[in-house]
Amino acid sequence: MKQWAWLTILLSVSALAEKPLKLWHAYRGGEERAIELAVKKFTAETGTQVELLSVPYDAFSSKLTSAIPHDAGPDVFIFAHERLRQFHRLKVVATTTTRVDRTKYFPSTVDALEVDGELYGYPLSLKTLALFVNTSLVTNAPTTTDELLAELARTTDATQYRYGLAYAAGDFYLHAPFVFGFGAKLFDESGRATLNTPGMAKSFGFVKSLQDRGFMPKEVSGALVKSLFNEGRAAMVISGPWFTGEIEKSVAYRIVPLPIVSETGLPLTPWLGVEAALVSSRTEQPEQAHALAKYLSLGEATALRVDPGGQIPAEIAAYERPEVQQDPIISAFRDVATRAAPTPNTLEMARVWEPMKLALRGVLQGDVLPDQAGALAERRFRALNRERPADANPLPFVLVALLAVAGLAVWQWRRRGPAQAFAKRYPEASRGLAYVAPAAIGIGVLVVIPFAVGISLAFFHHDAGDYSFVGLANFVDILTSKGYRITEPLSFWFTLAVTVAWTFINVVLHVSIGLFLAILLKDPLLKLRGFYRVVLIIPWAVPNYITALMWKGMFHQQFGAINGLLAAFGIEPVSWFTHFSTSFAANVITNTWLGFPFMMVVSLGALQSIPQDLYEAAEVDGASKWVQFRRITLPLLKPALLPSVILGSVWTFNMFNIIYLVSGGEPGGATDILVSEAYRWAFQRNEQYGFAAAYSVLIFFVLLAWTRITRRLSGPEAA
Amino acid sequence: MKEGAKEPPGVTASSTLRAVSGLRLVGIRKSYGDNPVVKGVDLEVASGEFLVMVGPSGCGKTTLLRVIAGLEQVDSGQVLVDGKDMTSVPPRDRDVGMVFQSYALYPHMTVRENLAFGLELRKLPRADIEARVAEAARMLELAPLLERKPKALSGGQRQRVAMGRVIVRRPQLFLFDEPLSNLDTALRVQMRGELARLHRQLGVTMIYVTHDQVEAMTLATRVAVFNKGILQQLGAPLELYHRPANTFVATFLGSPSMNLFDARRDGATFVGTGFSLSATGDATGDVKLGLRPQDLLVSSDGPFSGEVEAVERLGFDGYAFVKTAAGPLTARFDGTLPVDVGQNVKVKPSGDVLHVFSPDGAKAHHHPEARR
Amino acid sequence: MKRSGLTVALIHMGLVLACAASLYPVLWVVKMALSPAQSLSLSINPFPETVTFDHFRDVIFSYDSQGRWLFGRQLLASIVVSGATTLVGLSLAVTAAYALSRFRFPGKDAGMQTLLVTQMFPATLMLVPLYRLLQTLGLLDSWGGLVLVYSTSSLPFCVWMLKGYFDTIPRELEEAAVMDGATPWQVFTRVVLPLARPALAVTALFSFMTAWNEFILAATLINDAARFTLPVALQQYVGEWKTEWGHFAAGALIVSAPVMALFFALQKFLVGGLTAGAVKG
Repeated sequence: MKQWAWLTILLSVSALAEKPLKLWHAYRGGEERAIELAVKKFTAETGTQVELLSVPYDAFSSKLTSAIPHDAGPDVFIFAHERLRQFHRLKVVATTTTRVDRTKYFPSTVDALEVDGELYGYPLSLKTLALFVNTSLVTNAPTTTDELLAELARTTDATQYRYGLAYAAGDFYLHAPFVFGFGAKLFDESGRATLNTPGMAKSFGFVKSLQDRGFMPKEVSGALVKSLFNEGRAAMVISGPWFTGEIEKSVAYRIVPLPIVSETGLPLTPWLGVEAALVSSRTEQPEQAHALAKYLSLGEATALRVDPGGQIPAEIAAYERPEVQQDPIISAFRDVATRAAPTPNTLEMARVWEPMKLALRGVLQGDVLPDQAGALAERRFRALNRERPADANPLPFVLVALLAVAGLAVWQWRRRGPAQAFAKRYPEASRGLAYVAPAAIGIGVLVVIPFAVGISLAFFHHDAGDYSFVGLANFVDILTSKGYRITEPLSFWFTLAVTVAWTFINVVLHVSIGLFLAILLKDPLLKLRGFYRVVLIIPWAVPNYITALMWKGMFHQQFGAINGLLAAFGIEPVSWFTHFSTSFAANVITNTWLGFPFMMVVSLGALQSIPQDLYEAAEVDGASKWVQFRRITLPLLKPALLPSVILGSVWTFNMFNIIYLVSGGEPGGATDILVSEAYRWAFQRNEQYGFAAAYSVLIFFVLLAWTRITRRLSGPEAA
Repeated sequence: MKEGAKEPPGVTASSTLRAVSGLRLVGIRKSYGDNPVVKGVDLEVASGEFLVMVGPSGCGKTTLLRVIAGLEQVDSGQVLVDGKDMTSVPPRDRDVGMVFQSYALYPHMTVRENLAFGLELRKLPRADIEARVAEAARMLELAPLLERKPKALSGGQRQRVAMGRVIVRRPQLFLFDEPLSNLDTALRVQMRGELARLHRQLGVTMIYVTHDQVEAMTLATRVAVFNKGILQQLGAPLELYHRPANTFVATFLGSPSMNLFDARRDGATFVGTGFSLSATGDATGDVKLGLRPQDLLVSSDGPFSGEVEAVERLGFDGYAFVKTAAGPLTARFDGTLPVDVGQNVKVKPSGDVLHVFSPDGAKAHHHPEARR
Repeated sequence: MKRSGLTVALIHMGLVLACAASLYPVLWVVKMALSPAQSLSLSINPFPETVTFDHFRDVIFSYDSQGRWLFGRQLLASIVVSGATTLVGLSLAVTAAYALSRFRFPGKDAGMQTLLVTQMFPATLMLVPLYRLLQTLGLLDSWGGLVLVYSTSSLPFCVWMLKGYFDTIPRELEEAAVMDGATPWQVFTRVVLPLARPALAVTALFSFMTAWNEFILAATLINDAARFTLPVALQQYVGEWKTEWGHFAAGALIVSAPVMALFFALQKFLVGGLTAGAVKG
């Protein structure tokens, strides 16, 4: 009875007040303005209110996949089609097969939205790659690679730092056109990845030769491409529509399709990325949501997409509008788009990126021969694609867990001292517990429960929202380094060794630099002491993600201040992230900068607690400064520093931000530490939460063992 | 302190009522874990009394004081005040003040705030608080220091603030936990005097814990000697000195401490190793004999003889440490005599001075007639 | 001890070098924020050649389509969330640490161990269960949820540090207060807390920083741009295809400024507060 009453009330309330639709996107600048205007128009025409949310790109995908299944997500969201398969498997998108009028859009953009014969979402705009030609340097845009090579030879002057071509060659997205141009295919008929083919080897060889002949600079980033093109030092650039916004007004340029490979006669075929308005499967107002999504993909909304959005619309009719026809960029890209192939939205595709990036960078850095790179990529591909382990029977595990709990309880029971009345043993128990209760409840709910869930996840295999119990299979795979050699970066043991080295070197540097500075600062009569201390604390006060991005910039090969400083001393610029040693060093330098102030402050406090007369006594005994340091300072500092050292080592061991943002694991994941590896398994390799959880459990045990050992070593006073 | 004595200025009429109050401890037991520290203590303290609890460290005296304060819960036993059971009453409702060994002054408060803190907690009117603080400051000569933080005070000044903190609250019972142990000798003597003066002036009950027998002897109206968690003897200082209940009390009080010898009664004499003395009292068989160094004199003849091992000259007289056949012995000598290390001397008791104890030292059989 | 002129000169030289090393990268950010370009353009010179406040203006005067002053609201969000986190975190940590330092009660040692142990499990994987949990508690898309998560996640460290500091406060002071007639609560608030000021300052600073700097959770949990915290807004300048470095740098300076100010205000406590805790660990 009561329930029915509630339901009626609920229904009537929701019918009365129609909730505004929620639309999430990751647009900025002109694109954001365009979507805002389009939504305003939609509201004016239909009366349906829409709430917009611009989400930082980094958090967008995880926000969607967490929010929608919990009914906390948007009704409509805008995302590139590559993730569609993933969204489909997580059941967060609604089908639009019967709603989309295929004739209104470029066929390829609709195809891109197809999963298992069903359509999802409405195509909005497309992104692809074209050749940007500086018309003052190149009059006839090359149409074949032979012409291209001729132009490159003509326009390149390495001594003047002038290049014929610049593009982010280390990015597989930009290399893909070459793969297809040389006749290679990423997948065979059955959809299996085929990365080790002659065409692939040729594509690697071609690009490598461009770099070797000095036609394009090494280690190119987006920022470098931009500055080279704007300064007229790169005659041609391969990039996408977003690049048009980066070009300065003074530069005259044309956009043309990528050339045809003379050897094969095939065009360099770029990928086509389709941005689509996707409707949430959990929307409460499907009609309005679909209406909104459709509205955004057609008519007025498309016009806004062009201006101020600066996007290339997917709607065919848009190109008949006079303002679009007059826009040379849009029409050029339309031309380019007809030759592009949609990026496959399969799960296999999602797994190709990391191996191909590895192979590509290996080739460009000269570590791998072009004809061996394919094999390397293929092997990494197999390693990343763990097969689903066989299901295990959870019963023995539950039994073992119960036994362990029982055993622990018995042990605790036997361990406790002679039986004493509770009230006598704990006279203040009720007060103590009352004081602890709020914190204990908070930690219990928000730390311990997620922690327990995290640990139990390690016994499951996660596949698109489905969890299956696999027992210890994750651990076995990790510890036996299944699928790759122990000495390879993907191996747990390799990563563990890197992590231990990383932690050890960092902590040693933190402590020694911190202690050294503390000793310099110790003298209370030192002039400017307060000033020094304030300045030296600064690195601690800067949020560490800002620190990381800052140093990442400083290590840039061409623009980095570090290489600038080295050059001032006559040292060749170092390409920091292409070799393990330098990449690792870059991480260490960043983390040292960030971490020494903490140890300095702790050491300063500890030094002040050492009585001055001990030094005077030692002086009288004739001890040298060094002996005083060794025999007085160090032993007396130990008890004060040790807890901080343990804490510092735990922090460093799990210092995700620095690794992820500075080296990003380069080269080829070699500088990844255990946490960043776990992160990759969880969020970049098809949400293998179970496997990542197993990594985390192992991290946990390593740290637990480490703190146990240090406590034992440090003796009872620190325990 | 007798009833009807002249009240110190500022003490209210209620102190007359307090004067009839008394403290009684019944069968107090307390242990920490498996380690018993107080093993059943019964004790009565009359109002206005200055009771000093002495004993070596670890004898349970401080624990007992904390039990009285309410800082420790007893395992068994009762704390009665004016016949009322206060055993589980929290300290703030006990009307007790305590001076800690480390003074425990609040480092973040000025002297004034330290003094006023307890009164503020009791929500006294501001004017009252100021009056009382001013009074205590005058009494303890703290007036110029009121705005200072404890850090900026000398040891003696801190000590006085600690006392002032109790005085302002006017409790019926003052507790002191070795309050003078952190002071140098001269200050200690001075503060002893001040304490005695305060006691006279305030007319309240004071219980004072120390391991220093001089403080015990000079301050107390009665002394309680503790050892190993047990009350050994309770009485006026001189009574304890002259009539110790056992060898522990006998050796603990008095400096240098009492000489003890094993002996056997043989008719009218006590015979020990290498000496014999005429017997007093009626103990028979094995006994332990006690002789205070002050009652033994180095002279040309006497029952004890031996070689002088060390000499302490104090001017007018001195003490010689003599190795005798019965064991080491301390004796007084006239400061003008040429006593020297290595010399063979004889030692003679000066009259009826023999304390006779049971052979295990637990019981006293006989004491010399007290000389007053 | 006397030091020769040479030693003093060497000390100053060492410190000046160290200061240069710690300032240099920061000057970079300042330069990026003040230079007109939106891109990374780095050279050795850490000082901007041309100065413009455009980036700061863009960042500070950012409005959304409904005309809401985004920066203002996000600043408010950051202040409210960080302030509340500090308050909640500190009050939870202080009471718990005091109990752990002073009272004996069952489960105390186990509790201390649990605190430490939770610090060792990587936080990244907690996101998935945490989201679910907050939904169950009805705290999604609310500052309350953020505050709870932040304050509990910084709690273990805060408790551990405060407990260390409380251990160094003599019990006699508390007993003196008890004798002065203080209730347990008064002992705590009027004697223990004032004495623990340095540790409280440091703990507050850490709680504040945890909340002030975090962006992944904030971006995941909050569904309204006007209620984002500043670091989320900052993160929006780092896009998929391009990064607005100038805006990012200006934003970074704005975000870092309050934390730096707090550091400087509290730095005299840092030395004592951290170490006393560390000594007793």
